[in-house]
Amino acid sequence: MNVMITGAAGGLGRAFADECGSRGYNLFLTDINDDGLQCIKRGLERQFNITVVTKACDLTNAESVDNMLDFIDRHEIRFDMLLNVAGLDYEGDFIGRERENLVKIVLLNNAATLRITHAVLKRRIPGRNFTIVFVSSLASMFPMPLKATYAASKRFLLDFATSLRQELKDENVNVLTLCPGGMVTTQAAMSGIRAQGFWGNATTSPLETVARNTIDRALAGKSVYVPGKLNQALAFLGKVIPRSWVAAVVYWRWKEVSGRGLIS
Amino acid sequence: MKTVVITGASSGIGLEISRLLARKGFNVLGVGRSEANCRRAEEMILSGNANAKFTCYVADLMQQREVVKVADEILSYLDGNCNGELHALINNAGCVRSWYMTTEEGYEQQFALNHLAGFLLTYKLLPALKKARGRVIMTGSQSHKGIRIHWNDVMLRRRYNPLTAYKQSKLCNILFAKGLNDRYASAGIRAYVVDPGLVNTDIGNKETGALVNFIWSLRKRHGVSPEIPAKTYAFLCEQEPTPEGLYYYLCKEKSYSRQVTAENANRLFGLSERLCGIHYGEVQSL
Repeated sequence: MNVMITGAAGGLGRAFADECGSRGYNLFLTDINDDGLQCIKRGLERQFNITVVTKACDLTNAESVDNMLDFIDRHEIRFDMLLNVAGLDYEGDFIGRERENLVKIVLLNNAATLRITHAVLKRRIPGRNFTIVFVSSLASMFPMPLKATYAASKRFLLDFATSLRQELKDENVNVLTLCPGGMVTTQAAMSGIRAQGFWGNATTSPLETVARNTIDRALAGKSVYVPGKLNQALAFLGKVIPRSWVAAVVYWRWKEVSGRGLIS
Repeated sequence: MKTVVITGASSGIGLEISRLLARKGFNVLGVGRSEANCRRAEEMILSGNANAKFTCYVADLMQQREVVKVADEILSYLDGNCNGELHALINNAGCVRSWYMTTEEGYEQQFALNHLAGFLLTYKLLPALKKARGRVIMTGSQSHKGIRIHWNDVMLRRRYNPLTAYKQSKLCNILFAKGLNDRYASAGIRAYVVDPGLVNTDIGNKETGALVNFIWSLRKRHGVSPEIPAKTYAFLCEQEPTPEGLYYYLCKEKSYSRQVTAENANRLFGLSERLCGIHYGEVQSL
């Protein structure tokens, strides 16, 4: 099994790489951070008997992606699975953010994800099943004031993935969207979760379990995975409560958290 | 002047060991993770004692490339100033985690810092230790008892329990010390593990979740001052003739887990060598 993982040098991407490695899958890892890629490649090869190929790439740059695709074609690498993990967020009120940083959220979370998904779908192994995972977020279930751009970009992924899944059903391609709450991926993520107090802890899922369950479910042909019972309940509420009410509650809540001065 | 290297030297037990050994006239090279804490430790130790020799290097030892980098810095210092001799290496840096978190290599953090960092650093500093017939001391814990190494999933990825990961990393410390003695006792190197007991430090309050943080805040109040265990480390650095035990508490030998066997030590050596990309020498038959 050949798996491509974007954003593989840290957080969830690294957890996926680890999980796939333990299953004996061969990996093609990409990230903007080449040093990080070299480290995880070393770690994986020392632990598991697999082939790991890395290529640093700025997915928001079409030329950089073309270079990577050339590299892939030159080595005749073809795939069974794509894990779209690369993504970013700049939290806070819309007007208070840097203009270009806001645009970057959409450039990476959406435009780059489309670019890479299209390219890798064209590089499937003929006649075999193919699996795509989009890493969306629990935030995709609600309008989220103070995380407006991020939540909308994740909503884009959820809706896009649902449609793509239908389009590719007859081509033996399964598409799964992962919508996790908090995960302890970095120190920053940990302080963010701590800042949210009880709800932060309650909506947080263990990274390694999410990685394992996501691959299991994607291979089993599932469509959406929301880790954690409480998160599933919240996702359900997001569907039945009027969206303007949800926005008001979320705004009140995030304002309170950032009011504690713990989230910038 | 004898030189010692102490990791985790900028706070807690490591800071007290550094202070004590500097007062006793050792040339102390510390390693700490945060630049600010390292500078503060230097100020604390040097301001109290004009003759003290203490330098604190900055490195995040969880990441292997930082271990290699700081080891090279220390080696070139030793070559330039200490005739390439290192009298003692104290692998004290350690951490507690609430969740499964990984290093750059994708290794579980408690295993990576509490065990692998010392394993790799000792390997890198081995030439200097050999030259001085030096000693290697690990900070262990009584909690290493009643547990086995999970050989099939040493990073506990399948079912992560933070406390199990911590205990296992502390069992690794003793297995590592035993393995070192089996390989290098004939070359004059001795390895020990110190049980510091329950000590009032901030280990459980650094980068942990609310629950571990809270429990540790209550628990550490019953701990002794870091000055108490520091004496055991100084004892093992200074005592002549070389002490022959493996596991020490309050300057006395103590019994350790029955899991500490040559077979387990060799198995851990093989695994750790692979995970660090290095190769120690073979076991010497004495």
